[in-house]
Amino acid sequence: MSTHHHHDQDFLFKYVFSQDHKMISKQFLITGFIMGFIGLIMSTLFRLQLGWPGESFWIIDKLLGSWAENGVMAPDKYLALVTMHGTIMVFFLLTAGLSGTFSNLLIPLQIGARDMASGFLNMLSFWFFFLSSVIMLISLGVEGGAASAGWTIYPPLSALPQAIPGSGLGMTLWLVAMALFIVGSLLGSLNYIVTILNLRTKGMSMTRLPLTIWAFLLTAIIGVVSFPVLLSAALLLIFDRGFGTSFYLSDIYIGGQVLEHNGGSPILFEHLFWFLGHPEVYIVLLPALGITSEIISTMTRKPIFGYRAMIGSMVAIAFLSTIVWGHHMFVTGMNPFLGAVFTFTTLLIAIPSAVKVFNYLTTLWKGNIKFSPATLFSIGLVSTFISGGLTGLILGDSALDINVHDTYFVVGHFHIVMGLSAIFGMFAGVYHWFPKLFGRMMNNKIGQLHFWITIVCAYGIFFPMHFLGLAGVPRRYYTNSEFPLFDNLLDINVLISTFAIIIAFGQLLFLYNFVFSALRGPKAPQNPWDSNSLEWTAPVEHIHGNWYGDIPEVYRWPYDYSKVDENGEYIGGKDFIPQTTPLYDNETDEAH
Amino acid sequence: MASITLQDLNTKAEIRKKTAKPLLWIGIVSIVMFFSGWTSAVIVSKGGNGNWLNIELPFAFSLSTIIIVLSSLLFHYGLISIKKDNKKMLKLAVSLTLVLGLLFVVSQFYGWKELYSNGIVATGSSSTNASSFIYLITVFHVLHLLAGIISLIVVSVKSYKEKYNSTNFLGVEVSIIYWHFLGALWIYLFLFLKYIA
Ligand code: HEM
Ligand SMILES: [Cu+2]
Repeated sequence: MSTHHHHDQDFLFKYVFSQDHKMISKQFLITGFIMGFIGLIMSTLFRLQLGWPGESFWIIDKLLGSWAENGVMAPDKYLALVTMHGTIMVFFLLTAGLSGTFSNLLIPLQIGARDMASGFLNMLSFWFFFLSSVIMLISLGVEGGAASAGWTIYPPLSALPQAIPGSGLGMTLWLVAMALFIVGSLLGSLNYIVTILNLRTKGMSMTRLPLTIWAFLLTAIIGVVSFPVLLSAALLLIFDRGFGTSFYLSDIYIGGQVLEHNGGSPILFEHLFWFLGHPEVYIVLLPALGITSEIISTMTRKPIFGYRAMIGSMVAIAFLSTIVWGHHMFVTGMNPFLGAVFTFTTLLIAIPSAVKVFNYLTTLWKGNIKFSPATLFSIGLVSTFISGGLTGLILGDSALDINVHDTYFVVGHFHIVMGLSAIFGMFAGVYHWFPKLFGRMMNNKIGQLHFWITIVCAYGIFFPMHFLGLAGVPRRYYTNSEFPLFDNLLDINVLISTFAIIIAFGQLLFLYNFVFSALRGPKAPQNPWDSNSLEWTAPVEHIHGNWYGDIPEVYRWPYDYSKVDENGEYIGGKDFIPQTTPLYDNETDEAH
Repeated sequence: MASITLQDLNTKAEIRKKTAKPLLWIGIVSIVMFFSGWTSAVIVSKGGNGNWLNIELPFAFSLSTIIIVLSSLLFHYGLISIKKDNKKMLKLAVSLTLVLGLLFVVSQFYGWKELYSNGIVATGSSSTNASSFIYLITVFHVLHLLAGIISLIVVSVKSYKEKYNSTNFLGVEVSIIYWHFLGALWIYLFLFLKYIA
């Protein structure tokens, strides 16, 4: 075999069909970011239409071509863009991109394992995701356009191929892509759970795990329980579309013609969909909560406040998330008693959420805070988790929700509490673990600028949406110019769209910082943030098996920051004690 | 410094030993959730509309139940045998389990045939949700069973090659857990379709 040939093979197995968790992590990150940028551009384009309805834009003309005659987006294509934007952001960027990246990177490194339980399944998990991304993007180009029934793909729009242009091949491809996505996500979750439960290094008990790992564990458990139900819902939809069953359809006419479907109900779909749909928001959110807890503790040089309470509240949130799905269905003619039950379970989630907020704030309180971009984005998450959570109380209450259901109030709410929180968590994670991912440091100044532009614009976009919603502006509308009652709200839309354009440009700073630092950034030191957790004991360069020689042993929890003895001196002489340091004589392992 | 640190094959085998069964168990959880999605859907559909039909299950499905229980018992006997290093018995038990597994699939086909000849169809204008669900649920159970059959084939080939002994039978165990699960799943679906749907 010639050396050259040998190299080719190496390349293929190292970068493409890799079974190494660190490489797979980068594959998830980059694929997720590419999808995320596409989702972002889509939102900017439809914000142009919302801010300046009916006006012609050069950029829309260039990017959308036949979807926008003379630079004006076609109404049905608006729906396609909104649907694809939601789908891409929720599933591709913030489920696969976020969990896939950080579960893969951090689980083996932080628990002290050589790799995932099954490198092969892990590789498959990525490739299912990748294939799914490709099919989802291809669906943008098919006749009739991409799926247009909203990211929630309610029937009958999604069930009858002849309903609207986007109900045709675009919808079919959406379903195929999502089926692959679900398989990939399940394979990933299997691996994460089993690795965490079975491959921890010596001394790494469950209560010595960093909160990141707890978050990834619970995320994976929710995934394993709820994604299969989405798959079963999607299969019924596929049968209704193509094979003449009527699970979701009854007494339907199209163009004056009676269809054969009989006996089904679209409400059934809503039940099945939201049984995944609500837990999905925690699949998106929990990893961000774990990441930021870890970062805030490290960067304030303080032990996380209420470690066990943090775990307990994440467990409670994970459990409660599976019994609240009805709050998306208050206006479906649901029995008011059942509505009250779902209101009750929904409002219960406020308790563990409030515990988490309290613990975040007490950890920050009087901390010796180092304001890295990761710290800033973590604090940004605390902010959005509060401001978005408060409006959740309104939407969770059936009597109040009925007034604002399907308005921009909802759009404002979920973007802040889920979209922004998760995106901030993801940015925080990338800034913080960039040295672990690429062995180089990102630029601090550009990162700070990126944060400030992002948070100001993000609130500028989503905060005013609540007022639109209270005024009654419905979501998923191409334009409201037919309704004189909304005329005086146009200025708000102009404002929102302006912020949307700025935020999109702001992300170019991140893109530049990311690409430039990955290639040219200064080399990372062994432990850039003086952190306690295990990943920083692994060599900066990526090696197969993670550690030279034996896997390190663990003697303490990961949050021994600024620990002092009776005289007020730092134990061990520094303001941090890595998990690999055995207990000192004068020290007790507080049973945290 | 050495570039290979993953302590070679030993570590890999050890990881496999530790994780093969947990991986399967969690996979099973997700399959359970998949089917509970559909059985809940049956309950919602049944409650939600007037034209639900109570359908008599074909006799062949009762046969399927007996076959799959027998196969599970046999397979279990095979596992007990290999723990005592009785390789001959394992071969016999696994191959018979495989035959019973295939018979299960055949009996399912007979069941569908019987349904069909009674005018109960899966799709089209004369189908109802009740009839569609029966086909859907049983067909997807068989699809999952095919994975079990593949694993049975692998285990029987390996047992004929005498790859297993009283200290090395992880493959048999993994396959048996899945097979028992398929049996339990079938019994649940059968009782559900018979008494609740
Ligand atoms: C600056 C970035 C973003 C902007 C300007 C933006 C803007 C919007 C707007 C205006 C809508 C409503 C359109 C309509 O109802 O007609 C929307 C829908 C949506 N967005 Fe975003 N968004 C952004 C980022 C995100 C992120 C990060 C997520 C992640 C969760 C997200 C998830 C969604 C979802 C799920 C929908 C609903 C789609 C549907 O109705 O089916 N967005 N976005
Ligand atoms: Cu919800």
